[in-house]
Amino acid sequence: MSRLIGPAELDLLAAGARLLATGASESSSALVRDWAASVIGAGVELVAAGELDPGTWCAAVTLVGSTTALSEQLPRGDEPARAVRALEGRLGRRAGAVVALNLAAENALMPLVAAAALDVPVVDGDGTGRVFPLVEQSTYTLGGVSAVPLAIAGASGELAVLETAPDRVEELLRPVVLAMGGWGVAACYPMEAGELARVLVPGTVSRLLEAGEKGAPREVAAPFGVRTLCRGRILAVEGSSGHGGELAMPSLPSSIVVQELEGLRRLVRLEAHNEIVLALADGAVVARAPDQICMIACGDGLVVDVDKAEPGLEVEVMTVTAAPVWHTEAGLALGGLRAFGIRL
Amino acid sequence: MIVGVALARPAPVVVAVRDGALLRSATARAVTGTARAVCVAADLDTVPLAPVAAIRVGGPCPPALGPAAGLGGGAAESTEAVGQGDVAEAAVRPPAAVIVRGGHSLTGRPLAPLDLDAVRRFAAGCGLRDFAVTATGSPVLADHELAVAAAVAAEVPGARITLSYEFGRPGLRERERSAIRNAALGPGAGRLADRLAHDFPGAPLYFARSDGGLVSAHYFRRYPAACDGGHAVSLAAGRTALAGAPGEAEVSDDVVAAYGATLGRPQARVERIVQARGRAELDRALADVGDEALTRAVSAGAAPGSARITETTVNPLSYLPDGLYRVRVTAEGGPP
Repeated sequence: MSRLIGPAELDLLAAGARLLATGASESSSALVRDWAASVIGAGVELVAAGELDPGTWCAAVTLVGSTTALSEQLPRGDEPARAVRALEGRLGRRAGAVVALNLAAENALMPLVAAAALDVPVVDGDGTGRVFPLVEQSTYTLGGVSAVPLAIAGASGELAVLETAPDRVEELLRPVVLAMGGWGVAACYPMEAGELARVLVPGTVSRLLEAGEKGAPREVAAPFGVRTLCRGRILAVEGSSGHGGELAMPSLPSSIVVQELEGLRRLVRLEAHNEIVLALADGAVVARAPDQICMIACGDGLVVDVDKAEPGLEVEVMTVTAAPVWHTEAGLALGGLRAFGIRL
Repeated sequence: MIVGVALARPAPVVVAVRDGALLRSATARAVTGTARAVCVAADLDTVPLAPVAAIRVGGPCPPALGPAAGLGGGAAESTEAVGQGDVAEAAVRPPAAVIVRGGHSLTGRPLAPLDLDAVRRFAAGCGLRDFAVTATGSPVLADHELAVAAAVAAEVPGARITLSYEFGRPGLRERERSAIRNAALGPGAGRLADRLAHDFPGAPLYFARSDGGLVSAHYFRRYPAACDGGHAVSLAAGRTALAGAPGEAEVSDDVVAAYGATLGRPQARVERIVQARGRAELDRALADVGDEALTRAVSAGAAPGSARITETTVNPLSYLPDGLYRVRVTAEGGPP
């Protein structure tokens, strides 16, 4: 059954989408929320993929690039619609719905801006069930849907349509995004609703609406379960302010050491590359990608970003279990440790 | 002896402090001539706000993201969107606001040539003297904010101009809000500093910052927004210092805040985004930001020989070209 995402639901979704999101800045989250609030009017329709006519043509909409750049160089306002229109033009089809690539902070709301501008519904679900740093790291890819052609619109009116081999999307996209000033809105993974129903992680938007309610347990935001690895204090952060590393990912590798405050008082080492991809407790692997590992500040309950981690901070280290498809062989190849350059 | 003052109703609360120990409550008259420094804890929420003309340098944006609302007092009168159609027309806004072409991307690339004609027209026509200027990309390159300030100063004699890059915060909207708030507080903060200088003649005057530390009266007049929550912060600092002391419970909040203000040191913080290829360039950029922080600490009242850097944070920015870092440096001086 479809429902409406109006102003009240928007606030819930914005709150829910920050519970487990890494890399979200307060500034850019507030910006996209205000932007969405000003365009959704009475509301945007939220539908399950299966409720759409299977032939309905859909596109995924996502922010690409740096949230710091977004909050500095503000959007013109037409980026999401311009990207989807360009994809429509390239393929000669009309979008009947949009869907999120992932639901981390801004990315949960960007499809709403597109949907409002295009007057189409948003599909309840997303392409990761968690967040990955690269556009091609999605359950859509795992289901055999290509991210390309991909259209990206920038804040100075730029527009580019990319076609390439599916595994080279990020390589081609990155310089384009940089030339656009550091961020853009992409429309990608063009597919029909019948196919989307097969490859998406369903119901995740609804879940975040629920998780955004005051007092709702954090677990609600994690459809496949979440567990606490340890509570501890950060002892050391190594390499986060280092320079000149070899960049395969859009950030520098770093390593965070947490001393457990209770129980066995283990030393937990977190290896990060854009996000934490491996956790070792006294040398033994206790969690690894594709599951998501995050630090939650004991003080304010907010996710601590890798590049904001500081010695002395008390954190809860949590693991969010990834959707089952990420634990298949193909899923591990695309989103497992090896994808982050760690051969273990 | 150092004197602490908490701005309170009906009258300011004054305390005398020696070597960090709270001596007694006092009056302004009683401490005249004997105080080495006067440290003021004030929340600025009752300071009357002046109407502000906000100038944003950047591209057009959705009205909901236009120059910040609800600050500077007075009803919205006019918003021009010079050269950009009606983009900013419906924006919630200070009494007068404009978006002019210009600004830089985070990589330092100019987004558009700065439209100084639009700046001059707006400045001449807005009828206001308190300006807040915010340019896209100013944490990386403040050139356009400085050029706008020069144009406004030439057009409006006696204009008081706040530049957002001085506040260094990430996010154009947050920086703009800080700049508008600072500009709006300016005249009222100036009168407050005048009054206190009159009440406590002969001793240097300091104000407690919202993020810890002190600034000189001179600095406070230019950057009052840095002291917006000085009372609350001083109260917390005073409570911590007095915890467990005999008679602690009987001391009023204003006495504790006045005491807390005297515990700070002159302090300044500079935040920038720098671009550096390799270690040598980063070190040079860090040295530049450090020099600026030291200079500002001195302007905030630190004795030149006493100013030193107490904290440097360097964070690489993800999803941007190699070599972009957010740098934050704090410098502080010896006790007043």
